[in-house]
Amino acid sequence: MESLGMIHLPRTPAVLALALLTAAACSRRGSCRDEYCGSLVIAATRSATTLLPPLSEAAVERDIFDQIFLRLADFTVGGSTIGDSGFVPQLARSWEWNDPLTLTFHLDPRAHWQDGPPVTAADVQFTFESYTDTAVAAGDLTALAHIASVTATDSLTAVFKFRHSYPEAFFDATFHLRILPAHLLRDVPRGEWRTAAFGRAPIGDGPYRFLRWTPGESVELTADSTFYLGRPHLQRLIWRFASDVNVAITQLVAGEADAIEVLVGPANIGRAQAAAHLKLYPYPGVTYTFLRFNLRANGDSLRPNPLFADAAVRRALVMATDRERMLQSATAGHAKVPPGPMPQQWSWLWVPELAPPPYDTTQAAGLLTARGWRDSNRDGIRDRAGRRLSFHVAVPTSPLRRQYARLLQEQLRAVGVELVIDEMDDPAMAERLSAGTFDAALESWQTDPTPTSGVPQIWSKGGGANYGGYANPAFDRAVATAANAQTLSAARAAWVAAFTTLAQDAPAIMLYALDNVAAVDSRVTDVQLRPDSWMALVRNWRIPPDRLNERDRVGH
Amino acid sequence: MTAWLLRRLGAALAIVFAVVSFSFVAIHLAPGTPFLPEQGRPINPAAVARLRDEFGLGRPLPEQYVRYLGALARGHLGESFSQRRPVAEAIATALPNTAVLAGAALLIDFLLGIAIGVFQAARARRSSDVALTNATLFLYSLPIFWLGLVLLLVFGQWLHWFPVGGVTDPVLYPNLPLWGKVLDRLRHLALPALTMGLVGAAGTARFQRAALLEALGQDYVRTARAKGLRESAVLVRHALRDALLPVITLLGLALPFLLTGAVLVEAVFAWPGLGKLAADAIAARDYPLVLATTLLASVAVVMGSLLADLFAVLADPRVRMVT
Repeated sequence: MESLGMIHLPRTPAVLALALLTAAACSRRGSCRDEYCGSLVIAATRSATTLLPPLSEAAVERDIFDQIFLRLADFTVGGSTIGDSGFVPQLARSWEWNDPLTLTFHLDPRAHWQDGPPVTAADVQFTFESYTDTAVAAGDLTALAHIASVTATDSLTAVFKFRHSYPEAFFDATFHLRILPAHLLRDVPRGEWRTAAFGRAPIGDGPYRFLRWTPGESVELTADSTFYLGRPHLQRLIWRFASDVNVAITQLVAGEADAIEVLVGPANIGRAQAAAHLKLYPYPGVTYTFLRFNLRANGDSLRPNPLFADAAVRRALVMATDRERMLQSATAGHAKVPPGPMPQQWSWLWVPELAPPPYDTTQAAGLLTARGWRDSNRDGIRDRAGRRLSFHVAVPTSPLRRQYARLLQEQLRAVGVELVIDEMDDPAMAERLSAGTFDAALESWQTDPTPTSGVPQIWSKGGGANYGGYANPAFDRAVATAANAQTLSAARAAWVAAFTTLAQDAPAIMLYALDNVAAVDSRVTDVQLRPDSWMALVRNWRIPPDRLNERDRVGH
Repeated sequence: MTAWLLRRLGAALAIVFAVVSFSFVAIHLAPGTPFLPEQGRPINPAAVARLRDEFGLGRPLPEQYVRYLGALARGHLGESFSQRRPVAEAIATALPNTAVLAGAALLIDFLLGIAIGVFQAARARRSSDVALTNATLFLYSLPIFWLGLVLLLVFGQWLHWFPVGGVTDPVLYPNLPLWGKVLDRLRHLALPALTMGLVGAAGTARFQRAALLEALGQDYVRTARAKGLRESAVLVRHALRDALLPVITLLGLALPFLLTGAVLVEAVFAWPGLGKLAADAIAARDYPLVLATTLLASVAVVMGSLLADLFAVLADPRVRMVT
């Protein structure tokens, strides 16, 4: 038991109250002093609503259920998505390719569900069937469409059959599926999974067990000391839900939370830097942001857009924007100008052959003049045949994108282009994008570790999120080549070709790819972050015994 | 009395019906659609279509409205799109938090407001009265979220006297004895309740001061003084009793203020109450949850007004029961 003498003398009644509370908590449940102690409070910027993996792709829910449910194999930091060399065993102890279309996983016999039964190949088969059942209404299923079937040949052997052979088959089979307990979910009608009690009190096979959920407030997990891949060092993980990033950072700076995934914006980074108890961890970001042009008429997908159907106009607008200056002004350098639709996590694609288009207002003005856009009435805005060179841009609630919209407005005005900002909330913007009722839109996309899943959706002809209607067979061919490349260097060459074509066609102005900066309390050591899931390796994080504070010892 | 009550209840029902109907149309006509994934994530159109179909969003709006009213008449508030649970369950979780916050704020509002108002009236036009008048005017003119941020920054982040958000401490609370749990909740309640209560108290003080000054000029107060009663007895036992009547009416009118204030204060202090629930529901276009929170707010406001009138009638027989 911790004595009161260990606690610093309180200076105010409120601190006394906190000291009393801590003492009461310690006296009630004893204390912990060894390698397996500590509570990590994670400040989350939105609430979780379900912990059933197929139903959610929200970051906070992913962070939580990644600790409860395992994949067959886990992705390594900086690993390649091509082949299986970038993966380490997790639920599967080993695997082999029987032929180019058949992949067999051998499960680790030590793996068990937290309620006792072993994890079996039947669970793997059940998981695949659940993810692909339309009744579950799972999120994006594009990646799983290449898998024809999953069968259990015995209790520890699961066989994946693919529809065709492709380099990222292993990635698709492992990365997108968290294995679910068939014995607990089989009797729950899949149409009712949305509201299933299991989603609010899950039982998994991962390093942490679900402990409690206070709706709107917090979710708590506790370390599974019997976890077969090694006992987690931190005993408790608590996600504390705030309404926005500012509130979350206030909790962090005030010492009421220990970690946050991303400090959004230079002001927040500055706040965290000023807090002596926090340590910052930069890691590659997973998003990129761009101004997309609608190449089709606003609200009429059959007609070309009177401004943006002309590639020369689009190229002029790209050249008229000083992306480096905007980036310094808005992000204080915590981002890079991407030469294509790419986040920083695809570091292998940031090669010298790909460079952002130059900033050249003279050439931009020349291009516009050559296309007949002149300021005939001297009002500062170019016009042609009675039509002003003016367009609306849809901007969501993101403060950074709103700032960018204003910077773009200012820069384009300098070459005689009027940009009208239409601010709207996220659901309204999503509706306008999918309906095609926009001229241009400031969008930000989160990406997987591979370009293969997202790029075709957003930029290829027929892609579900290709809202601007961009189409170029040369680009689509290069993307297909990249997706089928057998080596990283071949994939890189194909992506460079694709993005070079995209840059020439200029269906968008690529604006910024953010650095991610996480903050974690400095008493926590061995912190390693993975771009695709920043806390994926949290079971290796630890608090050395000499750095444990009173709160770390509570609850043990 | 019964006829009066029935008439008022009928009018209240009509108001609530009108508010719900208007909200139904407004939220369905608002741009944006529900069931979208986190921003910047790819959409599974089949999943979205299936959910829209399951919740009947493809039906004509009048049909959806009739179905909604039918379900409401049977006591069904529906299933929340964004919370993935019944609306009633989401409300049941959030309502106690808002009730505690609003109750504490109301207590601060009226106890502090009446005390300041009485103090000012007793020292009318002296320097302390002028100072308090300026102070309450300043407080009353502050945007509530701004006051919340200042209190949070000063007493939470800088001085560490109070927690900066949430209802409980997620690390300590589960392991605390009962008295510790109560203390922890009170610590977390302090700043949000003060934020809402202080702004309300500033208004109540102004109201109370004016009412008491008017009462002090009445004949019965002069009579009390002529009888040789001490000034404190005249103030409290005679004038204040009369001057409290308008404040009772204010109590009913405070409810809308508390509910709208809760939306902002709950966001600042990460307080998982009805206000935060409603704001999140609007942002997600969670139609059933938006309608349920609107329904609850309109019922609370209408009933608050009714109760205030009822108290006024009971407290002062001179007030006639007319609609």
